[in-house]
Amino acid sequence: CSPYQKVLKNEEIKPKYEMAVKLYEEGLETGKNNRFKKTLQLLEQILPQYRGTPQGEKISFIYADSYYQLEDYFDAGYQFERFTKAYPTSEKAGEAAFKSAKSYYYVSPRYSLDQTETYKGIEKLQDYITRYPDGENVAEANTLLSELREKLEKKAFEIARQYYHIEDYKASIAAMDNFIESYPGSKYIESAYFHKLDAAYLLAINSYQYLVEERLETASEYYEDYEKYYAEGEFSTKASEISADINQRLKNF
Amino acid sequence: LNLSAQDIPLANGEQYTVGEITVTGNTGYNEQTVIAFTGLRKGEKIYIPGDRISQVINKLWDLGLFSDINLYYTISEGNVANLELEIQEVPELNEVTISGNKKKKHKEKFIKKNDLDPGTKVTENLIATTRNNIEEFYSSEGYLNADVDIRTIPVQDTLEGSTKQLVDLDIDINVGEKVKISAINIEGNEVFSDGKVRRQMSTKRKNFLRFWKRSKFIEEDYEEDKQEIIKEYKSEGYRDARIISDSIIKKDEENIAINLKVEEGDKYYFGDISFLGNSVYTDKQLKQVLKIKKGDTYNGTLLEQRIADQTKPDADDLTNLYQNNGYLFSQINAVETRVYNDTIDFEIRIREGKVAYFDEVVVKGNDKTNDHVIYRNLRTRPGERYSKRDVVRTVRELGQLGFFDAQKLAPEFKNVNPNDGTLDLEYNVIESGASQIELQGGYGGGGFVGTLGLSFNNFSLKGIFDKDAYHPLPMGDGQTLSLRAQAANFYQTYSLSFSEPWLGGKEPIRLTTSFSHTVQYFYDAVNRDANRDRRFLITGGSVGLAKRLTIPDDYFTVSSAVSYQHYSLKNYDIGLFNFPDGHANNFAITLGLTRNNQFTNPIYPKGGSEFSITAKFTPPYSLWNGVDYGNLENNPAYQTNGQPDPAKIDQKRFDWLEYYKIKFKGDWYNSIVGDLVLRTNVEYGFLGAYNNERGIPPFERFYLGGDGLGGYSLDGRETIRLRGYPNQSLTPIDRDPTSGATRNDGATIYNKYSLELRYPITLNRSASIYGLAFAEGGASYDGFRDFNPFQLNRSAGFGVRIFMPAFGLLGIDFGYGFDPIPGTSSGESSGWRPHFIIGQQF
Repeated sequence: CSPYQKVLKNEEIKPKYEMAVKLYEEGLETGKNNRFKKTLQLLEQILPQYRGTPQGEKISFIYADSYYQLEDYFDAGYQFERFTKAYPTSEKAGEAAFKSAKSYYYVSPRYSLDQTETYKGIEKLQDYITRYPDGENVAEANTLLSELREKLEKKAFEIARQYYHIEDYKASIAAMDNFIESYPGSKYIESAYFHKLDAAYLLAINSYQYLVEERLETASEYYEDYEKYYAEGEFSTKASEISADINQRLKNF
Repeated sequence: LNLSAQDIPLANGEQYTVGEITVTGNTGYNEQTVIAFTGLRKGEKIYIPGDRISQVINKLWDLGLFSDINLYYTISEGNVANLELEIQEVPELNEVTISGNKKKKHKEKFIKKNDLDPGTKVTENLIATTRNNIEEFYSSEGYLNADVDIRTIPVQDTLEGSTKQLVDLDIDINVGEKVKISAINIEGNEVFSDGKVRRQMSTKRKNFLRFWKRSKFIEEDYEEDKQEIIKEYKSEGYRDARIISDSIIKKDEENIAINLKVEEGDKYYFGDISFLGNSVYTDKQLKQVLKIKKGDTYNGTLLEQRIADQTKPDADDLTNLYQNNGYLFSQINAVETRVYNDTIDFEIRIREGKVAYFDEVVVKGNDKTNDHVIYRNLRTRPGERYSKRDVVRTVRELGQLGFFDAQKLAPEFKNVNPNDGTLDLEYNVIESGASQIELQGGYGGGGFVGTLGLSFNNFSLKGIFDKDAYHPLPMGDGQTLSLRAQAANFYQTYSLSFSEPWLGGKEPIRLTTSFSHTVQYFYDAVNRDANRDRRFLITGGSVGLAKRLTIPDDYFTVSSAVSYQHYSLKNYDIGLFNFPDGHANNFAITLGLTRNNQFTNPIYPKGGSEFSITAKFTPPYSLWNGVDYGNLENNPAYQTNGQPDPAKIDQKRFDWLEYYKIKFKGDWYNSIVGDLVLRTNVEYGFLGAYNNERGIPPFERFYLGGDGLGGYSLDGRETIRLRGYPNQSLTPIDRDPTSGATRNDGATIYNKYSLELRYPITLNRSASIYGLAFAEGGASYDGFRDFNPFQLNRSAGFGVRIFMPAFGLLGIDFGYGFDPIPGTSSGESSGWRPHFIIGQQF
């Protein structure tokens, strides 16, 4: 029987506490995962007894951080969140708030899946930045925050672009409009303006004859929107070509 | 000063310094523990009353450990407040005893349903809900007089030093007698007979002839029954019908009688029906949908249904006429404007409202499936006119993808704005496991047979090079990848198939590719081992494309495929050819047209139909290759020692196979009552030759009978299920005119008809189970000469199917064949046969 096994099976809680703290510190020094796993096993047994005691704060933090070190970010996010709620005045509260937020950042899936965790991560990161404006992790928090926001932007933009790709131009225009409204600062904005123009143009020229003129005029307005902001933009050559064709066609009416 | 903190208005809080903190009341917790938990510290400045105090109290309440919390304070000199926290701990449950009930199953159910586990906090609420739940359970079983008494008995915790409050719960159930209905008496009815009134009720009399029918009394059902009676009267013109009185008379402990008195009133007819407020549709258009004319017998139920049918979301009624065309905010009400003699005039008042357009359309809950796989299937898109029909259809089609739990797909309207005429739509999906694994080992055919099959139904091909995509496998692009390997002592077969439902992502063009390779060794009966020098190889593959059409409607799919198989024999006579060494090639094109509008659940369709017609054909080589197949035997090149050599002739005939095959299949699903579904199935198949002298090859033939499972075959045969007969037994048997030996080459024509009643036991996500009863018949023939569509081999039987996402479909059927098996001379009917069904959808 190793000393760890002995302590694990022991009824007394104090040796467990001491060994858990020791293993956790060893884990931080050596980076060995099994230290944190053992820490968690010990703490699970004694956490309820220590809840509400002066040592409870330290234990809760170690518990959450062990999950974090093990890269189990689902549990880490939740446990750090509990910690910040239970000990809002703790000196570790800032670190916990940041690690909780960062855990959600890690859990957030690729842009093409459900983004519930991303929204939560954004909320937590913003919360951290507001509460600890001088915190040591604010710079990183801002980076993570913009990364998560960019993910949401990409999601909305890609959905709008898929409508364009499957030639549902009406849906694409509406979705691009919603995108421009929701994410005005996004890096995809120029592309969104251009796709809106292109979709309106393609919609117009593939319409019934009696609808063509009106729709070309709408497309023409979209061109002006694009031209206003991105006269020198990435798509400006293509946009001008489309505009020229629109004008040519409109002359025939 | 002694005040409960909650009683003081918050506004006039004053600042104090915290002095001594004490904890009183009934609690097993250490005083220091409680104080530390509150976070209050001696010397802290607080406002009384104030936020801090309420927070402390709320925090304690949130623990759910206390039944009462009071904070008292006394002010001493220098604005010091001494706090006293009085808490009452809720006792914990120690043990539950249930008496008066005989069934252990019920006891466990009560404990589970009410969470009566040791350690549960015993609150008044817990006791009350437990009592209600148990009483309700018995009353729903017909025990109206059931009485439940719950007592709490405090016990001492045996653990040393524990100060926990523990109680035992003693639940005493007095079930009483089951109450039955001895009579239902109806008075006042002249138009409807007593029987007709009773038929509207689900509450039934005791009747020894109908011993399987329950005759228990359930209050809720009884109330509903009365509504049903009135509804039936209303549907036959008796608008004023009502129940004047009803009474329940207790005959004795076990029996009650129900007395109902109805007043039927007069019979009415519809008068003029006018419309008010309609601008989008003309009166004439609305009348066409309403389908009620002046002079029709008044039918309140029908009128309601024609305006809005609550039972069918896709009904052809007035509300849906508006709802399917953008008028989300429309409201339709029928108002009686005049009643004269026996005629009622109606005015149908319509408020059309603005046309609503979808603004944001989002999908939530997809934690495996990528957006593009889902969004391309949406029929409701941003900027489009709202249509209820499209929402319903989208839900149905998302369910059919097989990636989500079809029963739990929920569309939700958000930010509905009648002024702007916009709404957002959110589809909530729950992913369900879409992959199947098959791993089998068994002893059969002279040795060990091992099978490994993997089928990934939501695969992502582009993810296979991305190591982050493996959890545990790249998923989410809606592609299917199946791998299967089967190995035994004397044969091995490998197959791989891949399909992408939206090739290029632009249109639903399904690409299917497959590859397979089989080696079969000769089984040496003397050594009881495979002879690896004598073998038969089949290697082949196919590529196919299928596209959903929009004309004539978008349930149609057209498909095409090319396939190729190479057969190679080395000193191996399989009975198909007259040559032991040689080869054959099967290159064919398949064209198909399918219409499928089955809904909602692909495992258990409740309606719709599927038709398919396919044609498979090879190039007509004999048209241009100039070979006179009828005269090969006279050609010296196909003779040995001056005699025609059947091996050489067959090698020439089957060098490149030449045939065409046409199949038709129709399936209808009809919902009979509730979930009871009737499946009707018709199938025909025909295999023909372009050149009669070259003949129909022994490949690609139809084998009728049995479970219809494909299994392992060398010759591209099609096995057709016909239960009640042994597998592949219903094929014409040739008898060699010279030797008298029988030869079973399979049929070139078959037909089959089948009726199947299905009833679901459960349609859960984890397991769908349904039972079925069937009657079917079919026959197969050697050629058109023998064809007789009415000379069927008939059978009937029953079975059950279980679908679990991880295993696919499993089932067993028992079929009784009424006709003798062809080729047997006894003339006895085939009799009962069991059939196991594995991994097949139908």
